[in-house]
This record gives sequence, C-alpha cells and structure tokens, in this order.
Amino acid sequence: MQPDDLAKALTSRLGNQLIGVETFVGMAGRVRFRSEAALDLFRTVRDDLGFRHLSMVGGIDWVDHREVFYVVWSDDDHQYAILSTDLPADQPHIESATPVWESANWHERETWELVDIGFDHHPDLRHLLMPDGYAFHPLLRSFKLHEPEELEVKRRSV
Amino acid sequence: MSEMWLNMGPQHPMTHGLWNLRVKIDGEMILDVDPEVGYLHRGIEKISEDRHYNEVITLMDRCCYVAGFAWEHMYILASEQALHLSPPERAEYLRVMCEELQRIASHLMWYAAFVVDIGLQSPFLYGMRDRDLILDLFQSYTGARMTYEYMRVGGVRNDLPAGFTDRARQVMDWLDKKFVDYDRLCLGSTIFRGRCDGLGVMTARDCVATGVTGPMLRSAGMKRDLRRDRPYSVYKQLDFEVAVADGADVTARYLVRMEEMRQSVRIVRQVLDWLDHHPGPVLADRLPRWLGAPYAPQGREGYLLKRNYPKGVGFSAIEEPHGEAQAYVVNEGGEHPYRVKFRSPVFANLSAARHYMIGYHVADIPPIMGSVDICIGEVDR
Amino acid sequence: MTDVPALPKVAPTMAESYRLTGELPMVGEAAVPFIEIETVRAKEFIPAAKEAFSALIIEQGQSKVLRPTFNWAGRNSLFPLHWGLACCAIEFAAAFSARFDAERFGIVPRSSPRQCDLMIVNGTVTWKVAHKLITLYEQMPEPKWVIAMGNCATGGGPFRTAYSVVPGVDKLVPVDIYIAGCPPRPEAMIDGILKLETLIRERKE
Repeated sequence: MQPDDLAKALTSRLGNQLIGVETFVGMAGRVRFRSEAALDLFRTVRDDLGFRHLSMVGGIDWVDHREVFYVVWSDDDHQYAILSTDLPADQPHIESATPVWESANWHERETWELVDIGFDHHPDLRHLLMPDGYAFHPLLRSFKLHEPEELEVKRRSV
Repeated sequence: MSEMWLNMGPQHPMTHGLWNLRVKIDGEMILDVDPEVGYLHRGIEKISEDRHYNEVITLMDRCCYVAGFAWEHMYILASEQALHLSPPERAEYLRVMCEELQRIASHLMWYAAFVVDIGLQSPFLYGMRDRDLILDLFQSYTGARMTYEYMRVGGVRNDLPAGFTDRARQVMDWLDKKFVDYDRLCLGSTIFRGRCDGLGVMTARDCVATGVTGPMLRSAGMKRDLRRDRPYSVYKQLDFEVAVADGADVTARYLVRMEEMRQSVRIVRQVLDWLDHHPGPVLADRLPRWLGAPYAPQGREGYLLKRNYPKGVGFSAIEEPHGEAQAYVVNEGGEHPYRVKFRSPVFANLSAARHYMIGYHVADIPPIMGSVDICIGEVDR
Repeated sequence: MTDVPALPKVAPTMAESYRLTGELPMVGEAAVPFIEIETVRAKEFIPAAKEAFSALIIEQGQSKVLRPTFNWAGRNSLFPLHWGLACCAIEFAAAFSARFDAERFGIVPRSSPRQCDLMIVNGTVTWKVAHKLITLYEQMPEPKWVIAMGNCATGGGPFRTAYSVVPGVDKLVPVDIYIAGCPPRPEAMIDGILKLETLIRERKE
C-alpha cells in the first residue's frame, strides 16, 4: 500500500491523534502519532490494516525530547510501516503495546532499560540486558563513555 | 509441592552461548520458563555512536559471530540508505554471494552443535569439516575465517582473487553430495527421530503474535522469506525456492534448514556465473572523502568533518540465517551515526520460549533449544 | 630348584625365525621366547626394594621424581571447562574438530568445573557475568590455570570503552597465558595451550 492509502485509512478512524504519514523508502510509510491514546492506534493498525507482526521497538534520545518507534509488518501487503511518536523528555511515558502485540514484551523492556522510556501497564518491566539494579540508562546522550587513552585524534561529533 | 526453579546456564554445555534458562520444574516436567539474557551485552549500539560508518562494520561481525556477513550486509544497506549512496552492481552480487555462503556456513555450524545435543557425535565432525571448506573460501578473499570486515559503505573492500569461482564451484559440488549423507545420518537414525519428532511445537499464529521469524516460522507452514517477499539487493534476479515444512516441531526445523542450505548452493552457483561474466568496480567512485575510501589518509586529515552533508534515515531488513534482522540507522550529518538500532531474530525467538517449552520434559530442552539456533552475540548486542 | 627340562632350539623372535626359514610362522606355531624366572622369596625382596627406593627418594627427592611426574601428567591431560562466551568460542569449538584436533594433546572439555584444571576465557567478559566467572574459577580444584583467549579477554578488545564490559579478565582472576587475536585461529589457541604446557613443565612446587 502507498503512504496515501495508509494516511486515508488511519485518518478516517483516528482523526486528530494522527499527526501525519510520511514517505519512507521501501515502506508503506512512517506514521507520526500523538502518544495519548496509543493503544487505539495500535489496535487499528493491527486489526484493520493487517499489520499483525511487530518486529522492533526502539527509542532515540534527541536531547530535548525522546522518540519511540515501532516497526510493523503486514503479511498481506508484504510491507513494513514505522509508527513513531515523540515523548517529552521530562515525562517519557507511553502505553505498552503488549496487549496488542505480544512481541513487544522484551523489546519494551530493552527500550526502557536503555533509553528510559516508561511503558505503562507492561506486565513485567525489569532489566533485560543489564544486571538487576543497574541505575543508569546507557543510551541517553547524557551518558558519556570513557574514551580510550590511546586515541589522540581530536574527534568532533554532532 | 516439589516445584523448583533450576538455572541452566550461563555455563552449560547445552546452551550454545552465554545465557541462563531458568526452568520451573516439577520432577521432569517443565511448568514455566524464564530465559535470562544480557550476559554478553557489550553496548554495541552505544559504541557505534563514536565510530565512523565504516568502523561500525568491525562490530557487526562480532555481533552475530556465526553469521557475520549477514549482519554486515544489513548494516551496510541501512547506512547506504541513510547516506544516500549506492554500490555498483558487482558489489551487490558479491555481497549476496557472501551472504549465501554465510548462510550455508551458519547452518552447518548449527547442524554440528545441534546433533551433539541429540547424542550423535560424528556429524559434529562432518559439519565442522564442511564449514571449514567455506571458511577457507572466505579466507581467500577477505583474509579472515570469521570476522571479515569486508563490506564498506558504497561497495566492498576488494574483488575476488583469480580462480576463486572455480574453487567455489568445487566446494558447492562437494556440499551437494554431502547433504545427502547428512540426511541419511539424521533422518535415518531412530535416536534422532525419537528425540525430535513432535517436540517444541509452535503454531504459525503464535509465531506471528510473538514475532518469531525465520526457519521456526517456516517450519510451521507459513511461507515467509524476506528474500522473496521484500527482495533486497539483487535477490529479485535470482531463482530459488523458499523452504517450508509442516509440523512445526524440531524435525520440521531441521528439514527447513537443510533445504535452505540446498537452495543457497543453488543461489551461489547463479551468482558465480554472473560474477564470471560481469567484471567491474566493486566500490562506488564518488564517495565522500570523510567516509574513508580504502586509501584515506591517516591522522587528522582523515577525520575531517564534512559540512552540509544531507541528513537521512535508513532501514534495512534481511533474511538472516536465524530469521529476519533489521537495522535502523539515523544520520544527522556528522561522521558518526547518531543512532543505530538493530533487531535480532534470536531475540524474538528466545522471548517466545513459553510457547514451545512448557509441557515437555527437561531432557527435551537440548533438542528444542538447539532447533531455535541461538547465537547470543546478536541477542545481547 | 626343581629340574627344568631342556628346550628345543627355537628362534627367540619372529623376525629371526623368518630370517632362518624364509617364511613367517603361523599363529599358534609362532616361536615364543622362553624366559627363565628365578623364584625369589617375597620376604627377601620387599624390604630390599623399599630400601633402595627410599634412598632414591631421599636423595633426589620430590624434585627429580614426583614433581616431574605430576607435571607430565598435568600438562598432558589438561581438561578445560566446556564454556563459550562469544566469538572466540566458535574457534575454540573449531579446534576440537577433525582438522585441528585439540584432543590429541589430551585436552578433553568437561562440563563441570569440579573436574577441570583449565579455564579458557574465550570472549568478552561483562560485569553481569563476572560474578559467575569468579564462582566457576573458585569451584575448580587446584592446580588450575587460566588462559585469556582473544582480545576481549586480554584487555577488553573492540569493546573496551563500553559501559558493561570488563577490560580484561585479569581484573577478575589470575591469568597465565594470553592469546592475542580477534578471534585467534584454532592453531593459535593450540599454540597458546602448548605454551601453557611448557609453563607447567617448569613448575617447581
């Protein structure tokens, strides 16, 4: 399906919760939505549009806000779509997608642990990759790694 | 009340990799399962934010160490999309040859480890012997048996040596003969059939709900293969069948992987024929200097920041030997990627352990976990 | 002494019989050498043997007899722990395949640390597994050795700057041999084990 069809199908059901659908190379599109009633969007995407498979949930820390993205796959159209939402940096919460797609369980555990995004009503939100009781969220931009002592070249990054 | 939680791991001869399988057992019956991963979490995604795009390739080899070329290919496809570059066609065929040879080598490694869990000792030696033939091929043009660092953004590092295609064809002929022997050894063995038939059943519906992909999904009868459904690189021009089996048990997964190896041999033969008749460059000619063409100068000059390079996001999904792997690369105009995120198929396959482990016996754990084909480097990243 | 009857003249070995007659003797008709045994009474033999042997031990002591024997036994039957952490574990497994054949040196991987004397740390060590690694090391009985195989175990490897990686396993357990490589080839791993065997050969205590 094309991004326009995706946009049409979603707007008719969700209205103003949808911010927009952008084109994305090789995909049905990238859906930007508001995080308030995320479960409705997830249910619509799974049942009405046929994206029954959730492949990946990831988080990105843009320093002034955070982004969560869900990559879903449709078996009928053989297409991926990305659902992405922005969360405020001081209160990054979103509803857990586990009631809709069971595969979200471990992915959300990892995203919480690394990028500090709270998933409400997650059945089992505990550490997955780091030891129990690890107090930091390593993939935040504010968490700096030690540079190796041998590297003398002056690096610049964005 | 004789239930107890038992730790199988992180040091256990059966778990191929560093993870802990906590099983709740009542005597020999498994009541609940809680896999515990993270013992090999090396922070690859965080380290990649400090590396150049071509330097992340070294981490991709070590991420999934039995299927290094597949993860290199996946990351490179996403990076090229994010950096708005594209490789020459010969490089794409070389990458596909690498990936398919790697699929055969990975399945042979799986086979060698799997049969030892069942109790057969000699197929381990046969599997490793044939895998070594493929690793010799890899060594002849990359220089390494396992961690190749061969692909670059914009192509691959170097072309094949002379006589490679003939040697590769000899290996493919040898493998075709040996697959017959493997089937005779395993499917003809009452021990193998008795230990594997009807075990670890996971229906296609459960697979889709829990995100399980790859041979586990195809063994449940669902014909889903990203090389056919969403062809990437040059797979659209290649001719092969998708391996599917019914039964959804351990024997079905064995059959699927065996058939995948045969189809990979078929693909490699087609690619070798193409490579013989189409010489050409293997690296794109207009690469940005800061990206590091093979002869980029060392020192401060090599790390110049290129201003005003367009931003981008890249997503790639490949059919890795273990399942579907995905990469999401965010390019914010700098010389390092802003964020790389990977999806590992074994991560999802392991997370669904409750569906295929509960109700069986403790002695059934090795065949079932062997059929899942676990490589912990990619689960923990 | 009782009378021993005279023996027929036969060749003492099969080779000599073949030389004499030009044909190999059949089994059953083979020439068997007959050795005369003088019966010595046990009462006289054992004290004499004890005296001779203890003189040997007291003189040359542990250093010439017992310690070399234990070293020889130990270095020719190193039992590593059946444990794989990361990529180097694949080369560790490949070393036990028919092409490289590490078992010809007496190396047999054992599953339980209580039966091992060698721990090959093959892969990246993270802080999450550090406690378990030390527990396994403590479960191994003395004498025990540790080989750090690969760049990650030697000094953190490509992941040295990561937040969850121990920069080298020698921060946790004492290491005897370091094998460089990422991953080291199976021949390199066997070479490292042979260097450990040379080290064991020179053990003095």
